[in-house]
Amino acid sequence: MLQDDGYKGVWVHIQHEEGQLTKPTLEILTAGRKVAEKLNHSLTAVVLGHEVEFLGRKTIEYGADEVIYCDDPKLENYLCLPYTTVLTNLVRERKPYAFLFLADEIGRDLAPRLAYRLKTGLATDNIELEIEDFYHVPTKTVYKNLLIQIRPDFATRVAKIYTPWHRPQIATVRPGNFGPAELDETRRGTFTVVKTNLNQEDFTVMLKDLRHIPTSPVQLDRAQAVVSIGLGILRDGRGNPRSSLEGFRLAQELAQAIQEKFGLKTEIGASRALIYAELKELHGLVTLDRQVGQTGKTVSPEIYFALGISGAVQHRVGMLRSKKIVAVNIDPGAPIFQIAHYPIIGDLYEEVPRLTELIRRF
Amino acid sequence: MIIVALLKGVPARTTRVVTVSGVLKREEMDIVMNPHDVKAIEAADYVKRRVGGKVVALTMGPEVKLAPIMNGLYDAQVEGVDEAIVLSDRRMAGADTLATAYTVSLGVKRLLDVNRNAVDEVIRLIEAVAEKKILLERSKELYNSNLIPNRIYSTLPAVKQSTISEYVSGRISKQDTLSRLDKFRESLGNFVIVTGVKSTDGETGSVGPQVAEALSDLYAFLVPHITYVHDFDIEPSSNTVTAERKISRIIQILEVKLPVLLTISPGYRSRVAPAGFKKEVRENNYKGKVRDLIKWDATLIGADSRKIGLPGSPTLVGPGVDIGRPLSQKILGRTFVFKEGVGSLQWEGQTYGPFQPGDRVDGLPDPLQRELTDRGLIQPFGYQDLMRELFGEFNASR
Repeated sequence: MLQDDGYKGVWVHIQHEEGQLTKPTLEILTAGRKVAEKLNHSLTAVVLGHEVEFLGRKTIEYGADEVIYCDDPKLENYLCLPYTTVLTNLVRERKPYAFLFLADEIGRDLAPRLAYRLKTGLATDNIELEIEDFYHVPTKTVYKNLLIQIRPDFATRVAKIYTPWHRPQIATVRPGNFGPAELDETRRGTFTVVKTNLNQEDFTVMLKDLRHIPTSPVQLDRAQAVVSIGLGILRDGRGNPRSSLEGFRLAQELAQAIQEKFGLKTEIGASRALIYAELKELHGLVTLDRQVGQTGKTVSPEIYFALGISGAVQHRVGMLRSKKIVAVNIDPGAPIFQIAHYPIIGDLYEEVPRLTELIRRF
Repeated sequence: MIIVALLKGVPARTTRVVTVSGVLKREEMDIVMNPHDVKAIEAADYVKRRVGGKVVALTMGPEVKLAPIMNGLYDAQVEGVDEAIVLSDRRMAGADTLATAYTVSLGVKRLLDVNRNAVDEVIRLIEAVAEKKILLERSKELYNSNLIPNRIYSTLPAVKQSTISEYVSGRISKQDTLSRLDKFRESLGNFVIVTGVKSTDGETGSVGPQVAEALSDLYAFLVPHITYVHDFDIEPSSNTVTAERKISRIIQILEVKLPVLLTISPGYRSRVAPAGFKKEVRENNYKGKVRDLIKWDATLIGADSRKIGLPGSPTLVGPGVDIGRPLSQKILGRTFVFKEGVGSLQWEGQTYGPFQPGDRVDGLPDPLQRELTDRGLIQPFGYQDLMRELFGEFNASR
């Protein structure tokens, strides 16, 4: 069953937008570089598109050893079926050991279909990738140098996923966990142009039109300090109901104080629970683009405040790379305290104003 | 039209999850319907109101846990679901997304086969010039089993001209009858499958696209998918779906001929079905609401036992990992730290330190900690310590 023979090399799927490599794509190059170096394999950037050869060449400066470039006007806009066909052919021909995708709207659409067509395993939403030997207990077999895919799993924990028997090992990688690749203009690599071989059937789904969404003014991923609120703002320490707007204002004041005092760029974040509660008072204030966590944004600011957030694993994976985490919660058993550098067990309606005041007087 | 809603049972309370070596033991937990799948039912119901047909809910997992959820689908709150199927077999347990997609695709195929066989049976009876009484009786049975729509046979007073009634009364020829039945048989290939964008337990979102690919393996034609659909419409005359989905900062407007699989985004709001199609919709509808949950096992759907459950899964789930636990945690007001900087400390032949203000003391021997307390050198981690550690590196700009 082992299909390891001849499978070599780490591939990453490169995404680009309006003639630029996307920021998350620079991260996937970091992830791929890490895995390739541990395996002592080469890193290949797979670029699909039309007239974007210069972007392909750019990936070498960001860490790729080789570029596979596939140019076709029909590949200009992402569509699952033609992309799947092109990638399937490439994988079957060239047999990579691992293939990494971004865990975004494209990767989550493309990687599953490709994995099924290749009949191989897929681990989604990885926050870390390692190379380790794996001992399979039932067969008493050691598998050398497996890609260990680490992803949030079933709400309470983070699990390692192994793909011992199938190649390539396909993984989607969550942006926000690996840091952007560094530019080195002196790097050199090989550039291979491949021809496409698309069928009529690949265009069963037709792109009729495109609409651009205006950029959101909320830029969580660029903030140096994020102040996030959760459902805990609905009650104070004595259990009395509080207006969510009051909680939001407290967070806003804290963020403002940090911004004014230290010149740090701040943003207000929120937990999924709070956003999905769709509170009337917070309408237009706590919007979907403020969500931190597995379904929202992954952030890694200098300082992260979790106010009234219990910290389900889906939230934790979205902020655990923050450099300093302060958590305010009335419940000493809240899971957020497991990862907070500075737990404050107390009533956020008392603690937050105090913190704001201390910052102003700092 | 056959509209399939793929549903999943997920643990009700995400805080109490029972796993055995990485595999969820669903039979030992409270199971509810995956919240994202509610949108799939909403979308399925829209297709049914727009085109007519039947909505079949299909799920996989332990029957004993899923039966209450599936039976609940007949409640008034969920208008559209006509029948429910659970794929249940111990051999299916422990499946990853690949094995799940394979199994589910076989379930969908069997569903289509069963419906096709029903039409074939009617066709055979007519070709064999069966007695009218036999034809009517058998058609009624198939109709009551939800296998042929009002268009073919009906007991509804509002549907006066079903194909069978017209044939039996001599209003249409045998040839015309057969050609109508053939046309209907062919139309069964124009199915729609809907499902939630992902489940709240595994959160992969992979099964939808993989079911579409698995079905493409089983059939000679390609079954496409569109993920994260937040708006769509279906045009019955051309069997075309137009769907919108977001990719990064772009909304794609996509068009596809049936069959298709759609994963429905949480932001989906059902459109209002246009008026004026009532008669056609009614004719395409089935009797509806088959109350008994249908259970199919691995043998019945013709599954290869090497491709289902744990043996059919390329991925294995390993042990849980601790994430991000900080090496040095300081709890406000509770963790004892040095009040001020202290040089090296000698204690029973060991050297400790030097220490900075705010350094934790809990690594030191207990008697040493007590002595430091007595000497007033340590205190609980306080607000000033917190401020210094958080913002000390940033110069106050004003």
